[in-house]
Amino acid sequence: MENLDAARLQMAFTLIFHIVFACIGMVMPFFMVVSHYKWLKTRDQVYLTLTKSWQKGVAIFFVTGAVSGTALSFELGLLWPEFMKHAGPIIGMPFSLEGAAFFVEAIALGFYLYGWGKLPERFHWITGIIIGVSGVASGILVVAANGWMNSPTGFDYIDGKFLNIDPVQAMLNPAWFTQALHMTLAAFTATGFAVAGIHAYQVYKNRKVALHKKAFKIAITFGAVAAILQPISGDISAKDIAERQPVKLAAMEAHYNTEKGAPLYIGGVVNDKTQEVRYKIALPGMLSFLAFGDFDAEVKGLNDFPEDERPNVAMVHYAFQVMVGIGTMLLLAGLLYFVSLKKKKWLSNTKYWLLFVVLAPMGFIALEAGWIVTEVGRQPWIIHNIMRTKDAVTPMPGIVVSFYTYIVVYLTLSVAVTWLMLRQIRVLNHSNH
Amino acid sequence: MLYVVLFFLIFSLYLYVILGGADYGAGIVELFSSEENQKITKKTIYRVMGPVWEANHIWIIILIVILWIAFPAYYNVLVVYLHIPLTIVLLGVTLRGVAFVFRHYDAIIDDSQKLYDTLFKISSFVTPIFLGIVFGALISGEIPLEADISSLTFYDAFIGSWLNVFSVLVGLFFAALCAFLSAVLLIGEAEQGNENIYVRKATIATIVVFVVGLLTFVYGYFSDNVFVQDFIKNPWTIILVAISGLLLFPLWKTINSGNKVWSRFFAGLQVFLILLAAMVSHFPDIIITTTGSISLLDNIAPDSVIKVLGISLLIGGAVILPGLFHLLKSFKMIKILERK
Repeated sequence: MENLDAARLQMAFTLIFHIVFACIGMVMPFFMVVSHYKWLKTRDQVYLTLTKSWQKGVAIFFVTGAVSGTALSFELGLLWPEFMKHAGPIIGMPFSLEGAAFFVEAIALGFYLYGWGKLPERFHWITGIIIGVSGVASGILVVAANGWMNSPTGFDYIDGKFLNIDPVQAMLNPAWFTQALHMTLAAFTATGFAVAGIHAYQVYKNRKVALHKKAFKIAITFGAVAAILQPISGDISAKDIAERQPVKLAAMEAHYNTEKGAPLYIGGVVNDKTQEVRYKIALPGMLSFLAFGDFDAEVKGLNDFPEDERPNVAMVHYAFQVMVGIGTMLLLAGLLYFVSLKKKKWLSNTKYWLLFVVLAPMGFIALEAGWIVTEVGRQPWIIHNIMRTKDAVTPMPGIVVSFYTYIVVYLTLSVAVTWLMLRQIRVLNHSNH
Repeated sequence: MLYVVLFFLIFSLYLYVILGGADYGAGIVELFSSEENQKITKKTIYRVMGPVWEANHIWIIILIVILWIAFPAYYNVLVVYLHIPLTIVLLGVTLRGVAFVFRHYDAIIDDSQKLYDTLFKISSFVTPIFLGIVFGALISGEIPLEADISSLTFYDAFIGSWLNVFSVLVGLFFAALCAFLSAVLLIGEAEQGNENIYVRKATIATIVVFVVGLLTFVYGYFSDNVFVQDFIKNPWTIILVAISGLLLFPLWKTINSGNKVWSRFFAGLQVFLILLAAMVSHFPDIIITTTGSISLLDNIAPDSVIKVLGISLLIGGAVILPGLFHLLKSFKMIKILERK
């Protein structure tokens, strides 16, 4: 394996892992404080049991997210020293603010986890809110830094040098808002459906139904609302990419030739050599409409760009299809949940619960697919149109060794965390509250 | 604003070494304890470190972020040449963190605890050694700085720079410092009757710090290590190290009289003085290569970046430091306050 490929795979792998843990650590505190709030209001022991059980989940995921995040903050430099040498000062601002937000989160978590019975009740609850808010703030800031790689601003690039650096403008780059909005909603959708799915399974298996139904309700409400809002954010993102990174949009849609009234392809098998997409459903004019709000607008095709400036079309196209497909599915499931609030009969149907069990991992699959679209779609650039990924990689050979080490460690960790969660649930089901 | 940035850089380094160090040290103390004392230590560590250990480890993130934003050239040398020990540190940080949480949050207590304990103890020992090796490598004079790194052999560029006697000695010295800090901290937190366990550990750690420190200097002196030569010639560093050594007397006095706040203060101050001495003798040339040295202040980021970073740090500091102070006050010191 070449050094560049090994470095890219290691980065991708650690990010894929980190994103899951970071999202759960960022969203679950909200479920926890809602349950905590209900406990304070109703003094129903079930909510206290649930809050304490979720809090353990938050602690485990926060730490896994935090340590994998620490590893990433070093990996950026270890794998991409040339990138960090130039980009570090420019995109430092969101990272330094993220450090601060993350610190606040850790402090609040310390108060929350160890504050039971020691802190005043209201203050204790508020520290839970701070965990969630600062977690979301960290997420937004990191995504803003990623946004800069897609839409580099806040400097002048003259003769290979980065001059007149303006860190504030770099942080508030044109992509930060669309990406941060999309990612925050995605985090809520994915975590909401995942947590709801786990509790739905317990209801399906008829274990501690009263508790798990309450848990399901809290988690799915967040997930469903986010899933229903997500298409709006997706539309904003698509229009933004059409403008700023037309080649990425073309790859997402496997759209080879520039044309007016471009069709939208759903599914399909991409053959990059013959530039054909077979077995697809084509909706005439829809791509033009989605990208520019006009059925006749011209959409640039991949052939308008030099061959060495195009990403891997098939991968980006498939990832995009997966993301949109699952997104639509979760949107419908979210609507179904709100309908079920009126149709109480559904709740006694085991198939209703089974449906949400099946949907549990879907949000995260969509979320990872979305990141593949963003990151693979930006290739061959590490900084869009400025620096190529291959020019940023470390001169140290043998990265493949560290890649395999990370795979082993992180896979073991994933298994361990899953196993730990199963044990939490087992104990929860046998506890008497 | 550069001074603000430098202040926060050094401030987070010190806090990481002292707070994070005490945290690593807890695992080292546990590792070198009898089976029975390990159980006691595990409980004590959980009570003391539980609420604060995550915060303790964020200082290294702040440190690394400041480095890459404000001193990119310096950071570049670090991540290119010291890739391997830094990766080991990261794996250590990861495994240690999860082991700590797993052993306290696993809902079922069974044999898997043994695995978590082993992982926690070993990574608590290995990680600070490699962290110390990184510090050592930066001042060892073994980093072969070349514009064209491909002209060097793999060993010279990526291994020889840190896997040498001097760097390894610094690594062991740092681990011993961690154990020392932690033992002093644990004295104040032990249940009645267990204090002596940690008094003994603190004594052993002090001796190890002294012996390894001396070895490092003797070795450095006879192998013409630039850092050691300059260190010895500088009167200020000698004074600082001497004060640090003399502080052992008030430290023992406060430990014996059971004054936990002051004993912690003295132990922290000792480590602070040692670090300060190391810095005074060579600031700002913090990387010493085979051919010369690299100043931290060479190739700093443009003014606009430093200005924004300084402001961010001031705002962040204003939010974080009071919060952190309250966290420490609310939990770590609870036992002390209760006893009064």
